[in-house]
Amino acid sequence: MKQEDRLKIQAWLDGELAPQESARIADLIDNDLEAKELADDLRAMQKALEIGEKPVFLEDSREFYWSQVERQIEAEEPITENSQPELVSGSLGDALRWLIPVGSLAAISALMLNFDSIDTTPDLLETSEPGIEIPPPSPANPPSGRVESSGTALEEESPVSPEVGVFSFEGTQNGGNLSSPEDPNTLPESIENPER
Amino acid sequence: MAKLDIPNAADDELVRSAQKGNMAPYEELVHRHRDKIYARAFSMLRNEEEALDVSQEAWVKGWQRLKQFQHNSSFTTWMTRICINLCLDFLRKRQRQQTDSLDQMEEETGGVERRMDVEDYNPTEEMERSELRKEIDAAMEKLSYEHRTVLVLHEFERMEYKEIAKSMQCSIGTVMSRLFYARRRLAKILISLKKERQN
Repeated sequence: MKQEDRLKIQAWLDGELAPQESARIADLIDNDLEAKELADDLRAMQKALEIGEKPVFLEDSREFYWSQVERQIEAEEPITENSQPELVSGSLGDALRWLIPVGSLAAISALMLNFDSIDTTPDLLETSEPGIEIPPPSPANPPSGRVESSGTALEEESPVSPEVGVFSFEGTQNGGNLSSPEDPNTLPESIENPER
Repeated sequence: MAKLDIPNAADDELVRSAQKGNMAPYEELVHRHRDKIYARAFSMLRNEEEALDVSQEAWVKGWQRLKQFQHNSSFTTWMTRICINLCLDFLRKRQRQQTDSLDQMEEETGGVERRMDVEDYNPTEEMERSELRKEIDAAMEKLSYEHRTVLVLHEFERMEYKEIAKSMQCSIGTVMSRLFYARRRLAKILISLKKERQN
């Protein structure tokens, strides 16, 4: 008997054979001893396996098992679950997904331009005529970019910049995971390829 | 809206609540079905530690993908499929680290199994069901992962050839061939176990 026919006998028993082939295989089993014996063997194995599997149970307690699952869930979803619950839903979330990085870029560009102007400010101060008094910075009305210790002053002056940095950082670190948690594409892995 | 009575709620109710982001119902689902998911992982991986890790990973994936669950099947079926896919990925990864298995070589060269006589093995006689289960389990352990997997998916998960082919990333013909030799080999092992038991 051909191997192809053996596989078809098996498929016939498994209910997987096309109807047009079924009649021929049924006939083969009826009239060919080898085919009949094979069908009987396969039926015996099917019957044996119908009894099912040996029961297996977890030894860990419910609480311990869940705590491990929960910890992994929390470890893998720090942003979508906790940080941005309101911003990321529906079309607003989609819009923000693009607006945040674009806005960040714009803010960074503006910041760079500011840096240029800061670089030139000390020159202006140095070339200013003697006798002109520069008022000390006051908390109520801080000078704009006209500072000698530019780093600290800039941070105080531009409350936007640290936030820009944070948004930009998160967006790139998570490959765009700032989008809606309802979007399956934001999940870190596919089921088909869970390797990390 | 009435508060969900978590311990007494049906799976479907728990799933719908969990799909809204509530974790307590999901925790209950994990409690209810963790043994089943672990058992499936164990039956495929045959290693307690690996099965534990993969089963937990399946629950994490389940949570992450819960919003995709459309209620077209039971939640446990859906979770079991996730677990099976993770097991297959795990096994593929492990397999890549090994050379081709003897079983694969045998399949390609036409196989070495001979037909067994019907009278050699009658699973319904002599043995209690629990004993038979143990014996089948012992025999399954001796199979290659390809043969064991195809048997588990077909015989215990009731998956069709095409579903198995998709999961195992192979052709339907390969599934048929693997299933055929898996059954032959399993029968042979069961016969040898029976002989051991009788001696």
